[in-house]
Amino acid sequence: MSYRKTRLIYITILLLIIVCSSVKGQVKGRCKDCHTMHYSYEGEEVTYGNQTGPFPVLTKGGCIGCHGQNPSGTENIIIIGKARIPQVLHHMEDGDLAGGNFYYVADGYNPDYAKGHNVKGISLPENPPKIVPPGFIGGVVIPGGTNPSYWPQTQQLNCAGTWGCHGNRMIEDPYKSIYGAHHENDTIIDGVTVGKSYRFLFGIVGKEHKDWEYLATNSDHNGYKGSKSYDSMNTISYLCGECHTKFHPHPNLGGSNEVGFYGIMWVRHPSDVAFDFVHKGFAGSEYQGYTTYNLEAPVAFEKPTGKELFIDENSIVMCLSCHRAHASKYPDILRWDYSKISTKTPGQGCLICHTKKAEK
Amino acid sequence: MKRFYLLFYLLLCYVLVLILKLKSEGAIISDNCSACHVPYPGMMEEVALVKAKYKYLLDDSLCVECHSSSDNATIKIVGGVKVPIVYNKVPPEKPLAGGNFYYVTKSDRKGHNVGRIASMDKKFKGFPPGYDRETDQSIIGYNPEKPLTCAGSNGCHGDRNIENPFESIRKSHHAKDRPIDGTTTAKSYRFLKGVKGYEDEEWNQNASAKKHNEYTSDIDKLCANCHGKFYKKDFLGKESPWFRHPVDIPLPDKGEYIKYLKYNPNAPVARQKVFSSPSEEVKPGEDKVTCLSCHVAHGSHYDSILRWDYDNIYTHEGQKEGCLICHTGKQD
Repeated sequence: MSYRKTRLIYITILLLIIVCSSVKGQVKGRCKDCHTMHYSYEGEEVTYGNQTGPFPVLTKGGCIGCHGQNPSGTENIIIIGKARIPQVLHHMEDGDLAGGNFYYVADGYNPDYAKGHNVKGISLPENPPKIVPPGFIGGVVIPGGTNPSYWPQTQQLNCAGTWGCHGNRMIEDPYKSIYGAHHENDTIIDGVTVGKSYRFLFGIVGKEHKDWEYLATNSDHNGYKGSKSYDSMNTISYLCGECHTKFHPHPNLGGSNEVGFYGIMWVRHPSDVAFDFVHKGFAGSEYQGYTTYNLEAPVAFEKPTGKELFIDENSIVMCLSCHRAHASKYPDILRWDYSKISTKTPGQGCLICHTKKAEK
Repeated sequence: MKRFYLLFYLLLCYVLVLILKLKSEGAIISDNCSACHVPYPGMMEEVALVKAKYKYLLDDSLCVECHSSSDNATIKIVGGVKVPIVYNKVPPEKPLAGGNFYYVTKSDRKGHNVGRIASMDKKFKGFPPGYDRETDQSIIGYNPEKPLTCAGSNGCHGDRNIENPFESIRKSHHAKDRPIDGTTTAKSYRFLKGVKGYEDEEWNQNASAKKHNEYTSDIDKLCANCHGKFYKKDFLGKESPWFRHPVDIPLPDKGEYIKYLKYNPNAPVARQKVFSSPSEEVKPGEDKVTCLSCHVAHGSHYDSILRWDYDNIYTHEGQKEGCLICHTGKQD
């Protein structure tokens, strides 16, 4: 074997080792950056992010203590030691991450509850009946089991667990539901465990942008998993549909009765359908005008890579095409101000997909 | 005359047997009393003391005098007897199981501020962090107005129902101290009354997986006397997820813990029964997490009297020490 060939083999092996050993989502760094052993320091109880403890799993302030540790601060990703911690509650200008920013609904920061989910520890609960997720249907199939049969009028939304989004929703306790996920090897996002699920949303798959979409581009972004014909349970929209059941056409959830009929007569805006699902076909439809991935109206894919640049008939409409997950500047957690979208705003909001609605 | 010699030899044999028996039982036998017993004022004779508080400290200093050293050796021979050193005036070469009070003389955060060794903790002002009177088994209770002592109601060793440190441990060094069943101070692990365990003959100097102290959960109850809030289930939580790091619970026999199988003196476990010899085996599901899994008793090189530098324990970067001895899933 020639020297050149040998060298090539060694370099290839080295690259493979480097690639295979990069465990991207697994938290690295000092234990002390996230955990306090006895909820005390120098003999006094400690509080984190205005939260009083003690906190489960010996964390410094629970979920929000780490991920919303400085609501009025201007960092959307806080780096402590070797850990990069995405902030879901901060005050950085133009720094909202993919899920949005709970700042818009956070008590103490001039909240507008119409702009986000009222998560416990960030906002007070909405008054009934708004405390129940709009469109909720009890007892539907979710990854690992079934949803609760009903949503109590006193039950506030949590970050995780049965009454939240993240973690295993079959486990009620938010911390138990996500236990161990931060330390799991999540090189492969296959939805089998919480740690190996997209953003720890149990059962959901996708490709995670390394900076949670901060400074994302149209060819480097989150890769959302969709289903061309709303028949998969591992899509990001199915996750939304677990609570907002009537808005998802999957037969497990709202189904055609709640959402509409096969691309002809929608009752609610469809999600988890591809552009080619449109009545009369993709060719010649207005969706052909949406050609390049737009971060203001992202789409999902059957096999997301996060590098998709071009939109075609296989691109999939999803809940997150219009909404953010946590909170946004706009009512209904929309990505844009619906009240200002009109036929005179081509290329914005709804018109990113509905290209023929713009005035000629 | 023959009868006299026979009687004499029998008596001699009896004395020798008695001495050997006592030696085997751990009691200090030496022909050099003065090696330990120097007539300090108030010890060998009654003297008038100006203040009772002074006497209190003075008594405690008796322990310190014997168990200290000006050099770095942590076991010294006094009167032919091995004496464990808990306080070296210079950095100790091989700190014993309890650590070494040298460190608390450098920083309050690195050890227990025992009177006569270190001045009162500037932060806690003599009040043990997490003290809970209900958990303190002493009928007297801890008195924060007085300094922490080696023994007695304001200390760890001896009978904590006796206030005077010297009185609380009196005679234990010469008493029968086997078996270690906790019934008397002498028959308690390291004279910590009520605590059972196995004592390494070198106080864990040169400890290894095969050679080390063996703890029971009694040691946690002892710590809880003064630091009850770190022990009581009301404060810890009752099951995972814990609110504070649990102690006195079995190392789980699932998940990452099942890989801690070989005893590591840097993260010792407590046994559910008293071992008569050290075991290098750790049994998840049976062996327990103890306060001493992470901390040492006297003083350590690290803050919070930890066995390791908590500031430098990193997860998923190949480290295998510190927290990661038990939390093996965070090693790689």
